[in-house]
Amino acid sequence: MTLRWKYSRYFLIVIVAALFAAPILGTNPLSKPGLQQTLAVAFVFGALALTYDLLFGFTGLLSFGHALFFASGLYLTCIFINHSVFVWWIAIIASILLTSLLAFLVGAASLRTTGITFAMVTLAFGEAGHVIVNRNFFGLTGGENGIALNAELIPQIWVGVVNTKYLYWSALICLILTYLIIWWVTESSAGRVFAALRDNEMRVQVLGLNTRNFKLLSFVIAGALAGLLGSIMLLLAGSAAPRFAESNITIALLLMVILGGAVTRWGAVVGGIAYSFLTTRMQDLTQNGLFAGLPKYVSGPLSEPAFLLGIVFILVVMFAPGGLSGAYYKLRLRSISKKYSSSK
Amino acid sequence: MSTFLLMTITGIGLGALYFLVASGLTLIYGLMGVLNFAHGAFLSIGAFVGLWFATSIMKEATIPNFILAMIVGGLAAGFFALLMEQLLITRLYDRHIDQVLVTVGVALVVGAVLGGWFGNDLRLFPTPLWFLTGINFFGAIIPADRIIYIATAVALLIGNWALLRFTRIGLIIRAGVENRNMVNALGINVRRAFSTVFFLGGFAAGIGGVLVSVYSSGVSPLIAGTYLIYGFVVVVIGGMGSVTGSFVAAMLIGVIKQFANYYVTGLGDFVIALLLAGVLLVRPQGLFGKRIS
Repeated sequence: MTLRWKYSRYFLIVIVAALFAAPILGTNPLSKPGLQQTLAVAFVFGALALTYDLLFGFTGLLSFGHALFFASGLYLTCIFINHSVFVWWIAIIASILLTSLLAFLVGAASLRTTGITFAMVTLAFGEAGHVIVNRNFFGLTGGENGIALNAELIPQIWVGVVNTKYLYWSALICLILTYLIIWWVTESSAGRVFAALRDNEMRVQVLGLNTRNFKLLSFVIAGALAGLLGSIMLLLAGSAAPRFAESNITIALLLMVILGGAVTRWGAVVGGIAYSFLTTRMQDLTQNGLFAGLPKYVSGPLSEPAFLLGIVFILVVMFAPGGLSGAYYKLRLRSISKKYSSSK
Repeated sequence: MSTFLLMTITGIGLGALYFLVASGLTLIYGLMGVLNFAHGAFLSIGAFVGLWFATSIMKEATIPNFILAMIVGGLAAGFFALLMEQLLITRLYDRHIDQVLVTVGVALVVGAVLGGWFGNDLRLFPTPLWFLTGINFFGAIIPADRIIYIATAVALLIGNWALLRFTRIGLIIRAGVENRNMVNALGINVRRAFSTVFFLGGFAAGIGGVLVSVYSSGVSPLIAGTYLIYGFVVVVIGGMGSVTGSFVAAMLIGVIKQFANYYVTGLGDFVIALLLAGVLLVRPQGLFGKRIS
């Protein structure tokens, strides 16, 4: 199996190299820790959106419980490190393994249903996870306030505002790692089966393949990667809080994938980064009185990021189902066919 | 014994609230295959319009006024549901996943608008004093508001049943749940049935919204989320498309949750998740659902 290099590879390499070099190249916006932190979080969400694209875009599984595995990685890593069960890097590996097990169990139960029922069931499991971390069983999860990561037990290059650039690089590396894994998975023969399942499950069944096992495989891979990203998020946020387990996170992932465009990989990443970056920025802007001049009944909804996002989301679903990357490919296709017809 | 009775009846009262949300969800899903994430928004709209009516139009919190506020809230949510169906859902005919996505978008927008207008803090709902009294029922003191929840849910169940059983539109809805293509092929316009179901679902959810705001002693755009999720759980356990199934499942879940929470605080949600997993393992189509071949 070979991974195809497309013509856009130089473009991509330049962007990634620029992102890597920016924090240490003289003075530019990215040499400030504030923007580094915002972008690092955006990278994690870009990668998380990509894992969701594997489920929703590539395999056709509309899951509303993906935040469960993100939160599981986050909380397990935090608990392992804080209670000195493992050294930080074993804690991350252990939490990924346990998250995979959780994804296996949840997936095995939910995949007994299909389609819309599957969506409802995964939502219920995701919400159960949110409730559990909120309740603080055995004093492990800290309830509504969450738990702060004990900064003395992780490498010191990840601690402190001065060292934000190391967090930024770690997040960027994780994004690239996730991208490569998803790329490899979706181009592998199992990835072909995933796509076939999305397009016509009955035909895959007729070919004699066990459809549920393949779906479960996709579910577990996406869950395991979400667990890894949860661990990175823990380093970025410095604490594990119930808001990471909310179903709103999964709905945000769905928005990122749809707005960026499913199945193209880069669409989900761009959607995730843009969504995360813009919502953070918008909160800053509204706090600084961006809509201060408008009457309350206009400025109120406008200052909630969900308002504009929801409207754009509805419009994209109704009129531009391919999202951003879909629109890009449509344009390219049009220009190619135009070139072809004019040369004739 | 009296504790047992108290727990059972308060559990049924909670189940009644879940049923109000789930009845619309299950019918909409059964007929149109739409998983309606905006159902929580219907609940919020019902609650806020009911609150507005109860505070600005009706000054006194009496029982008839409360019932009126409930109906006004229900109607508002019903018309909103109708509007959403006409503007958005019908344009995505048979694109089920996209329909789900659009309802997610509507839920976001409504949540943001309500949050932006009223803030996310609880606003007190004017409750008739009688609701706060206790009723002696075979030695158990039952909070009176539970009786209202149960009565409303039963009235809705009977109304639903009568509509489905005795009217022409009900016949079309039942036939549509059974086999939509066949109804279409017979030259009957199913679209009207769709609109009716959306209106009824919104109406029930709006009434549920007013009752929920009494139950949680206030109105807030954030309340709807939990009830929506419980609505989904009820629909899955009861069987998609079955109103009776939803009723039974809602009562079951309400009672089980109440008992679990009584013995270990906070255990209720966890037990319900286990119950859901158990039902899916044994009977993936739900208690009253048709087997999917």
